[in-house]
Amino acid sequence: MPHLDPTEKQIVFKIVYFGPGMSGKTTNLRYIHKVLTNKYKGEMLVLDTEKERTLFFDFFPVSLGTIQGYSLKFHLYTIPGQIFYEASRKILLVGAEGVVFVADSSADRLRDNTEMFMAMNENLRSQGIDPSSFPVVLQYNKRDCNPRLSIGEIERELGLENIPVTESIAIEGKGVMKTLQVISKEIISRFQIS
Amino acid sequence: MYLPKREDTDDIKKLLSSLVSRSKAITALLISREGICISKAGNVETLNSTALAALVAGMFAATREVANIVGEEQFSILLQQGEKRHIHISLIGQRNMMIVVFEDYRKIGRVRHEARTIGPDLVRILEGREKSQKDDAEDISVPEFREFALNLIDRIFVVGKEEDASS
Repeated sequence: MPHLDPTEKQIVFKIVYFGPGMSGKTTNLRYIHKVLTNKYKGEMLVLDTEKERTLFFDFFPVSLGTIQGYSLKFHLYTIPGQIFYEASRKILLVGAEGVVFVADSSADRLRDNTEMFMAMNENLRSQGIDPSSFPVVLQYNKRDCNPRLSIGEIERELGLENIPVTESIAIEGKGVMKTLQVISKEIISRFQIS
Repeated sequence: MYLPKREDTDDIKKLLSSLVSRSKAITALLISREGICISKAGNVETLNSTALAALVAGMFAATREVANIVGEEQFSILLQQGEKRHIHISLIGQRNMMIVVFEDYRKIGRVRHEARTIGPDLVRILEGREKSQKDDAEDISVPEFREFALNLIDRIFVVGKEEDASS
């Protein structure tokens, strides 16, 4: 559920970039932070190790503008992808309105992608969320690598139908804003007051 | 959707202000466990409250996992002691946390006392507003909100042709 505050006059949606280690989650966020002009973005927090692997999360807020007197904001988070940070991943999914699943397109990482996707769904279920009705965009990142997964392989492996898919080379910025656009629209389209 | 009443939010701010005043703290913030700042009082200009809320929520959640590992359900208070500034974090109900930033460490007893004193009132207000959320949401037109939001997304999250990565 988004957070809405009448005093601060803001409505906030949380988007989490999920995926296996080294798939490009932080690279996505860094690119978005780089291309957005200052009036739309806040400071980026990066909690990483000395080797620049995400230790806890990366984060920055985006303010899009005012609608009906409320400031529309997205809070963008990444999770740590390394396998032993499962507890942190679970924490970071709390309160998320949508997920970008950043998959590594390298052919030998199909299993890493599918296992992480299944772990994500398990985390959502543990919060009482039905993954089949939760906004998720599957981003095939690193489309410049060879050999690479074909589009559709991950979905077939996981039995996913109708999941929005994007392709990207995040290190070059390709496909990054498109992915952000798709997940944001997925979230906004489902926005309602119950 | 979670929409608090304005008068409830004003009451929360008053409680936080009274804590700041009585304990001589620098600032007090109420945040959700999702890491969003709900209300703040005191000297809030010099602090990046958005980042602080995100970090403290993550820290507190991590601490809850630590508590589970050592056989506790959760730790209700966290204290961070610095050279000049210190942070007292306390759980408010099950979904929120209060952060108090203060300078004089000798006032820790007072900070703890004031936090404990206003805690039940904060819980009562927060629980009350959750129950009344539907009535409060009437001032937002959802179809209109969606339409404007989608327009903003198109305008700001700009996708250039050179960004296409389709194989």
